[in-house]
Amino acid sequence: MAAIPDGIVLKRHRDLVGRAKDAWIRRALLLLVGVVPLLALFNVFGQRPSVTTARSAKADLELYAPGHLRGGLLWEARFTISAHRDVKDAVLELDKGWLEGMTMNTIEPSPIGEGSNDGKLVLDLGHVPSGRRHILFVQFQVNPTNVGRRPQDVRLYDGKTLLATIHRQVTVFP
Amino acid sequence: MDLAIRAVALFCFVYLITRIIGRRELSSLEPFDLILLIVMGDAIQQGLTQDDYSVTGALIVIGTFAILQVLVSYLSFRFPRLRPALDGEPIVVVQDGKAIEKNMKRERITVEEVLVEARQQQVASLDEIAWAVLETSGKISIIPKQ
Repeated sequence: MAAIPDGIVLKRHRDLVGRAKDAWIRRALLLLVGVVPLLALFNVFGQRPSVTTARSAKADLELYAPGHLRGGLLWEARFTISAHRDVKDAVLELDKGWLEGMTMNTIEPSPIGEGSNDGKLVLDLGHVPSGRRHILFVQFQVNPTNVGRRPQDVRLYDGKTLLATIHRQVTVFP
Repeated sequence: MDLAIRAVALFCFVYLITRIIGRRELSSLEPFDLILLIVMGDAIQQGLTQDDYSVTGALIVIGTFAILQVLVSYLSFRFPRLRPALDGEPIVVVQDGKAIEKNMKRERITVEEVLVEARQQQVASLDEIAWAVLETSGKISIIPKQ
C-alpha cells in the first residue's frame, strides 16, 4: 500500500468513522432550504392578492389586495364600493398601516378630498348612486426597511355613518 | 443598521448553501454554473442593498462581509473542532487504484470525473493512482503510484 498522505486519517477520511451523520445533517439542511421556495408557492411570502368583503344594507365594500408582501415590492389595492342604495358621500378610512413604510405611487380616480382622522387616512370619494360601483385603484411600493405586521383596517362611511369595516393586517417580509 | 443585519443574514445563508450544496458542484465552473453564479450574485445584491445606491451603504455591506469572513477564518483556525463544520473534511475516493464506491456515491462523484482530474495531473489510468482525495475546496488531488 502506498504511504498515506500527510493530514489524511484513514479512519476519518476513508472509512468515514464518526461522519455518518454528516450526510444526514446536510440533507436535512438542504430540505430546510428547499422548504422556503415551497412555502413561497403557497403564497406564504406574498404577494398573491385576496378578496375581502364587508357587507351592509346600503353598500358593500370589497378589497382586493395582498396580505403578505416583501420589501421593495410594487403592489395594488383595489377598493370596490357597490351601492345598493344611494351613498351620498362615500368616505373610506384607512388605518395608518396602509401608509406607514409604504410609498403611495398613484391613486385613481383621485378622491375629491383627503384628510386625517386620529392618524388614519380619510379619502372622500363623493356620491355613489344606487346600483352603481365605485372602484378605487391605489398603487403602492413597500419601503425596504418596512418589516413586520401592520394593521390595515378599512372603513366605509356615508358621511359620518359607518357602513362597513374590513379588518385585516399586512405582513411585510424583509 | 438594516444593511448590516441583511448582510449578516445573507452571508450566513450563502455560507450554509455552499456547505450543503456539495463541494463538487461548487468547484466545477461549467458555462451553466457561471451563469447561475452571476444570477445568484445579482439576487443577493438586490436583497442586500435593495434601493440603497449610496457609497455608505456599499461600505457597510463590504465591511460586514469582510469582518464575517475574517471571523469565520479565525474560528476555524482557533477552534479545530469547528473546522469540519466550517470548512468540511477531505474524503478519500480512490486507494491503490480502486475506487471507494461508498465515498464516491456520498459525494456524487463518478469514476469518469476522477479520471478527468487524473489526466489533468498526467496520470493515465485508475491503476496508476495511489490516492485520490476530494479536498474541501471540491478539487480532487491525485497522488500517483511511485
